[in-house]
Amino acid sequence: MNQSENAVHTEAVGKIIAVSDLNVTVLSTGESVKNREILCADLNGTQQLFEVSDVNAKLVSCIPLNSVVGLKKGLDVYKYSDSLDISYNENILGRVFSSYGEPIDNLPPVEGEKRSVYARNLSMSEIDISGEPLWTGIKVLDFFAPMQKGYKMGLLGGAGVGKTVLIKELIHNVYTSASSNSVFVGVGERSREGKELYDEMLEADLLGKMGIVFGQMGENSVARNKAAFSGLTLAEYLRDEKKQDVLLFIDNIYRYVQATSEINAELNRMPIENGYPATIETDVSAVEERINSTQDGSITSFQAIYIPADDITDEAVQVIQGHLDGQIVLDRKVAEKGIYPAINVFQTTSGMIDVEKIGEKHYYLVNEVIRYMSRYEELEEIIAVLGIEELSQQDAEIFYRSRKLRNYFTQPMFVAENFTGIPGEFVRIEDVLIDVENILSGVYDDVDETAFSFIGSYHNRKA
Amino acid sequence: MGNYVEELVTNKLNEIKSRNNEYEVGHIISVREYILEVSGLEGAAFHERVVVSGHSDGYVIAIRRSSVVVALVQRRGSIYVGDEVIATGKEFCLAYDDQAIGHVVNMNGEDVLTGKMLEHTEEMRIENPTTPIMDRTSVNRPLETGLSGIDLIYPIGRGQRQLIIGDKKTGKTQIALDAILNQKGKDVLCIYIAIGKTKKNVKEVYSELNRKGAMKYTLILTALNDDLPPVLSLTPYAGLAIAEKYMLQGRDVLVVIDDLSRHADCYREISLLTGKVPGRDAYPPDIFYTHSRLLEKGCQHKCGGSITILPIVETRGGDITDYISTNIISITDGQIVLSKKSFDRGEKPAINYGLSVSRLGGAVQTGPMKKLGARVRRELLSYLETREVYELANVDEMGKELQDRLKQGAKLLKGLGQYKYSPLSQEEIIQKFEDIYGEKA
Repeated sequence: MNQSENAVHTEAVGKIIAVSDLNVTVLSTGESVKNREILCADLNGTQQLFEVSDVNAKLVSCIPLNSVVGLKKGLDVYKYSDSLDISYNENILGRVFSSYGEPIDNLPPVEGEKRSVYARNLSMSEIDISGEPLWTGIKVLDFFAPMQKGYKMGLLGGAGVGKTVLIKELIHNVYTSASSNSVFVGVGERSREGKELYDEMLEADLLGKMGIVFGQMGENSVARNKAAFSGLTLAEYLRDEKKQDVLLFIDNIYRYVQATSEINAELNRMPIENGYPATIETDVSAVEERINSTQDGSITSFQAIYIPADDITDEAVQVIQGHLDGQIVLDRKVAEKGIYPAINVFQTTSGMIDVEKIGEKHYYLVNEVIRYMSRYEELEEIIAVLGIEELSQQDAEIFYRSRKLRNYFTQPMFVAENFTGIPGEFVRIEDVLIDVENILSGVYDDVDETAFSFIGSYHNRKA
Repeated sequence: MGNYVEELVTNKLNEIKSRNNEYEVGHIISVREYILEVSGLEGAAFHERVVVSGHSDGYVIAIRRSSVVVALVQRRGSIYVGDEVIATGKEFCLAYDDQAIGHVVNMNGEDVLTGKMLEHTEEMRIENPTTPIMDRTSVNRPLETGLSGIDLIYPIGRGQRQLIIGDKKTGKTQIALDAILNQKGKDVLCIYIAIGKTKKNVKEVYSELNRKGAMKYTLILTALNDDLPPVLSLTPYAGLAIAEKYMLQGRDVLVVIDDLSRHADCYREISLLTGKVPGRDAYPPDIFYTHSRLLEKGCQHKCGGSITILPIVETRGGDITDYISTNIISITDGQIVLSKKSFDRGEKPAINYGLSVSRLGGAVQTGPMKKLGARVRRELLSYLETREVYELANVDEMGKELQDRLKQGAKLLKGLGQYKYSPLSQEEIIQKFEDIYGEKA
């Protein structure tokens, strides 16, 4: 077959000499090739792209962007571009991109300037740390882990405890009430959920304010790895050039690290515990340090973090946690009891839990609730042995009030209406504080505990 | 017909003229179980089928600088170092024939019960790229299993991936078989993929389904314990490729994968033998992707067809938080957790309602099922939790309200019990629970 005529390349820079699932080794002809450069090869008329990851004299290790089935030794390799890039202009809003910045929504391509997905990091002088509170309308979040503009909030949870529902509720509450534009990055999550998000946004006429990047779990490791970078590039464009306050949703940042370990293993680099790459800190920083606010605009981010094997001490989880301003921890033991959002109140907190930031009353109530809840856990054990009648008057009060509190912190969610059959509610923090104070001081002692499950505000309840 | 033969001959002649039928030959330089290292074969493509020692089959799993690595898929004789390995120039594919429905077959196109090869097989790619996001639509049509504990509380939709997870002997396969049986007359094609099951197991499944008349619309695709691990690891992909073919014709397909824990172990075995770096629990770091790209093939396609997948995972000591289980839970759209405790208490199906989840919930239920389901689920969960707290409390001293709640809950739990192969229609389920509540839903 003839060399295809419209090929952009001029001269081959090398030949393929080894192929495995995620690693293509090229023997270069001596032409200098640099890291992150994109190379290509022709396979039966289709162009296969690779990103350079290691250069060892004339041996160049590349990671293939797509499946390597059919690749052979001896295929010529050409230069394609300097690095992965994404075209951008104001039309990125309302559009859906693949991890490599290609539109996948069957609409015409975005014409505009191109920007490498590995943009510069910010210098310390550029970073802005002031910001006003941002209320989410989700009782348990606003109470235990209040948000501030420019914050990075992590939603941690094992498999199937409700991370994605919570992220969707946040999109619903924060994004629909704020006027800011947003970017959603789907990394290694379900394609079905991705499509549903798109459809829901389209239906609610909100798609026009959101740019979406998908590298979902059916895609190969490289796609899942690059999705984060492409998504960030879009958010940075909105912040730096359009000077906007941007909301960035990443579901799920753990999958980025996971994809990195898959690539690492294929490159035969020595791993650390549990197969993570030795460069894990660097890899996470490469993404997280780009998510920051400047004088021009802010990026407020919500990041779901998967906890593998329900092990919160997992290396990847710990490294990501180090970058967060606040965290919401979801717990299987809570979910098991049918309490949603299934939040572990002892581990959920944010930098806003500070007398100077949220005021004395809120601060005092948080401490008091945590004190009640930790006593409640002890009491549960006592009851399992002795029965409920053996509790002292004071402990019985704590026991019953804590159960009411626990029920009170459930909430009907807008996005879960289909599941619960109860319409969602947006609850103001002022109402939460009044209700919690009332429960703690015994105002509602003779109300049955079930009355507090899946409601909005209690004192403000609809009759 | 004349044209056809003529064409065949001309093509063959052209091939010979252009020397296209000359195949490259390499030689085995090392044998490690079923993984061969072969020198030569400079022109072999990734995933190309090769013939080993003139009698066995394999395919290329890696191309190294001075050799290629071949995984054997069928060994029909002894293999020695120095034996010839012939490249075929073709990608390694599965063989399938539409007539296979109703039979027990393997991915090489063999009817395992009779030992004969299928007649009109076509070659199909084992793995196609994942269905693009934009070609998927929302999952909202119910796939009725006939089990009230599932249809009412944690319903399954067409295009959903719902994990069945539990210890040995808790009835995992039974739930899947009940679901298959209940598809009778509903125009759903069922594919039961058995991975590393004993021959006895597979034969039992076949005869049960046959006896109940469910084999008419069911294909059993099997990789037996004495098949080589590369076959065990590829068979689920082959099954899903077959399912995709029917989905694109607009049909609804139900795929059961029994089971993925065995599949993970097989994949680990191959990875370690080929020298890949181990990760958590010695599984290779891409074990998540191995399962995620498999299960992502389940979807509701915009063409109207769908693939519903019920993967099965076996746990130890009731622990669903181990590595493989949590990986798969994080891929699927929900899980049915079976517990030994409930099983021993005589609650069958032995579903642990607290730990089970459906992420689609009411979206795949219709009308009264949806309304009733939400209510039963809420009341049941609250009952199960309350029951635990008040386990030691004196019932007579409880408030009236609490007593009633506990009684009602016990009734609901009892109402969810069901024997095997006794599916209930949606109407029967609704009737049953309306009777328990004593009111119309």
